[in-house]
Amino acid sequence: MTIELKNLTKRFGDLTAVDQVNFDVGDGEVLCLLGPSGCGKTTTLRMIAGLEYATEGDVILQGKRVNELAPRDRNVAMSFQFYALYPSLSVADNLAFPLHAEGLSASEIDARVKKISDTLQLGGILKRTPGQLAEGEKQRVAVGRSIIRDPMCFLFDEPLSRLDVQLREEMRGEIKEVLQDLSRPTVIVTHDQLEALTMADRIAVMRDGRVEQVDTPHNVFQRPTNLFVAGFIGTPQMNLLPATFTESKGDGIAQFAVQGGQSMTIQVDRRIEELSPGTNVTLGIRPRNLEISRESAEDGISTVIDMVEPMGAETLIHLNDGHQDLRLVTDWRIPHAEGDKVHTRFPPHATHVFTEDEQVLRTQ
Amino acid sequence: MANENSRTGGFGAWLLDPKRRGALLVTPAITILFVMNIFPLLWSFGLSFFNYRASSLKVPTFRGLSNYERVLTDDKVWERFQTTAIIVGSSVILQLIVGFLLALMFAKAFPMRRIVLMLVLTPMMLSFVSVGVFFKLFYEPTFGVVSYLLSNFSDDRFVVLGTPAGAIAGIVIADAWMWSPFVMLLVLAGLVSVPKYLYEAAEIDRASSWRRFWTITFPYIKSLLLLAVLFRTIETFKLFDIVYIITEGGPGSSTETIAVYLYRTAFQFFRTSQSSALAYIVLFIVVVLTNLYLYAVNRRAEEVD
Amino acid sequence: MARRYREIGKAGWGYTLITSIVGLIYFSPVLWIILTAFKTRTDALAVPPKLFFTPTLENFTSVFYRSSITTGTSQSTDMALYFFNSIFIAGTSVGLALIVGTLAAYAFSRYPLRGNDTYLFIILTTRMMPPIVVIIPIFLMFRLSGLAGSYWGIILLYTAFNIPFSVWLVKSFFDELNPEIEDAARMDGASESRVFFKFCIPQILAGLSATFVFGLILTWNEFLFALLLTGVETRTVPVAMARTLGGEVGVDYGLLAAIVTLFLLPIFFVTFLLQNQLLRGVTFGTVKK
Repeated sequence: MTIELKNLTKRFGDLTAVDQVNFDVGDGEVLCLLGPSGCGKTTTLRMIAGLEYATEGDVILQGKRVNELAPRDRNVAMSFQFYALYPSLSVADNLAFPLHAEGLSASEIDARVKKISDTLQLGGILKRTPGQLAEGEKQRVAVGRSIIRDPMCFLFDEPLSRLDVQLREEMRGEIKEVLQDLSRPTVIVTHDQLEALTMADRIAVMRDGRVEQVDTPHNVFQRPTNLFVAGFIGTPQMNLLPATFTESKGDGIAQFAVQGGQSMTIQVDRRIEELSPGTNVTLGIRPRNLEISRESAEDGISTVIDMVEPMGAETLIHLNDGHQDLRLVTDWRIPHAEGDKVHTRFPPHATHVFTEDEQVLRTQ
Repeated sequence: MANENSRTGGFGAWLLDPKRRGALLVTPAITILFVMNIFPLLWSFGLSFFNYRASSLKVPTFRGLSNYERVLTDDKVWERFQTTAIIVGSSVILQLIVGFLLALMFAKAFPMRRIVLMLVLTPMMLSFVSVGVFFKLFYEPTFGVVSYLLSNFSDDRFVVLGTPAGAIAGIVIADAWMWSPFVMLLVLAGLVSVPKYLYEAAEIDRASSWRRFWTITFPYIKSLLLLAVLFRTIETFKLFDIVYIITEGGPGSSTETIAVYLYRTAFQFFRTSQSSALAYIVLFIVVVLTNLYLYAVNRRAEEVD
Repeated sequence: MARRYREIGKAGWGYTLITSIVGLIYFSPVLWIILTAFKTRTDALAVPPKLFFTPTLENFTSVFYRSSITTGTSQSTDMALYFFNSIFIAGTSVGLALIVGTLAAYAFSRYPLRGNDTYLFIILTTRMMPPIVVIIPIFLMFRLSGLAGSYWGIILLYTAFNIPFSVWLVKSFFDELNPEIEDAARMDGASESRVFFKFCIPQILAGLSATFVFGLILTWNEFLFALLLTGVETRTVPVAMARTLGGEVGVDYGLLAAIVTLFLLPIFFVTFLLQNQLLRGVTFGTVKK
């Protein structure tokens, strides 16, 4: 069983909310739609469910084009951002609600409700109504209601966004566990990258209605295909430095001039040789990959420590050379003081090069 | 805040003291209400214990509870209450059904909704006098549209207002036609307050439209329906103008509501004190209904929170 | 199979057609009255009733001018004055009730008195009571005080009738506001009147207009008190309407229909403009935005 989207597009009047989206989700696979708010991820999810109609393109479930089908005929399960629990029904009745359309007997329904409430530890609150539940309980009921049937696929819209941090961490694990037992394609919409990185088999990063990259959490983090994904994924944010490529020295070793006139020679992807000297590029390096030393070196620039932010086990250091800011994460044990002059070092292959069209330069 | 008032001093400062702000703001409203409503109310309460007749110059004498006794033992009064109950009951039920169906119809957003909605709202804006006069014309056996349309189905000229049942139906239809839009507005307000995502969830959960109505829609409108029932009951209880114009209480006294009877006692027979006593009994019933109404309002407020 | 699902709560022009038909059926008695306004006396009482006829404006002319049979000259009726009276009296009293009611509602909402709920209950009861209960004392009171037949008398009376609903409705709107904003404004040194006028009132403007429409609809057509308490100079249209009913030749339906039609126009347009607010008003503001 699969979900396939082909050139899926949604326009509201002049506004293109979703623009030519393509991806597929395999059986038992969890795909996270990740992006800032307003990027079209919820609209995409609603088009899979059938709550919105595609302006162009196809939604294919199980190999069958379902564009024209009403949600009820698509056999999908969905949990809503605001949970959408039926306020007048008890928790047990809420859970049983999707089963009425299945034509099950009362005892079968009871058995299923029992099973789900055991899985999600809802036994103690089955008689309550949604108004009497805590946020976390509501969320569990919403999940329970969406997984009680055996549908074609599961859709979750921002399942954890209304929970507080601690509860969110707890539920993340719980949902992940539940999802592993369901061998159905699952799509989760979220704006929280940590949620996506931990729960997803693959992540589709979206911006302005377009999918920027679809890949495993590891690859989205380690091998971003463009400037947006590079900047969006990862905390603290990747350092992005505008620079000019000046000279190639072979084997991916190249010289760049950064703003302010300093230059450095670092090893990057080999495709740098395709560029002609004088091309403007953006260099990206994660704060955890950047190193500093007291001695001057070729593979970095000299800066001054602007601010030191202890973050527990690590320390976040803000560097500035008068033209650009750099962020760097180091072990807390290494002492640094604001105002110290230091040299940065860009280790081999740690730097991503983005060309002017914002695409990464990388050998596949 | 204190120095705000220190400039005025004396009585002004005393009056503008924040402690008295609530009372000060309420005063104009209470004063007008007292002069125009509460004082006359007490006056007529007093009258109900005398044998005052507005038509005579005799000095009224104190009669104690005898007016109440006379009213409560009067078979006529009980008959009028029965008539009122029948008219109020059937009119309110009709208003509920029609208003509810209209509300379901207008709960959707569709092009030109604002304009089409006005078609339905207009009856509410007509005066009782005009509704009374024209419905009487519609029911008129010779010139009336209703009789004309009904004559297509039967050979006889149909005299709508000729029988007690027909006359009651005639009044009920006119009143329900006028006020169903009000019920519609109430129910509509309930319908539009249902969060859209609940309907979406029901669609995903493949609920039948029957089940969807009872689990989602109805819980959101039930207290508003109760509100509508009570408000319309209280208002219809006072129904006077339409009855007076369409049937004048006839044929016989079959459509004479308590309000019409009250009017006759007071202005045709000039039994002023007796009518005051009866009015107080009516007021008592209305107060009970008002209490129920408030209960409904409060429940609605709680549900929305 | 391909049951195309419409976005919930939306419908197209086909639906407009269906609702228009239902709406027109519901509207048909009003339509008939409007049509009657354009009929001659013969057409108005034709057997069988006429749907198609040659329209005439005669009725509308005779609302304002009456031709005298003896002299042949036309003479102005006082109907223009009655229209003015209706608009002036209803507008002023509903407006006055709104102002007085808003002040009281603010107090009930923000500075609860001892026995707050009792006051509110008594206020509502005065609106629910049958008018006939107080009509005799009011009549006597007006005669004794000389208020009978004056603008002030009837305006004050209508104001009193509108205060209860104004207080209840507006209070529910005030209750919905977040008092933190007011406290924040007070912390910033805003005076009490500034808090009231600059922070509270602008936020409930929609509610105030709903209250206004609601009151206007209920006051516009009031008949009983107007009949007893207005004089020749202050007579309102419903009373004038009822007075056309008498006469030896029976009811002049065309003329009455013309008055009804003209009298419907102002309230119709006010309601049309403030339709969305009215929806909020009838539910005591319990429907959140």
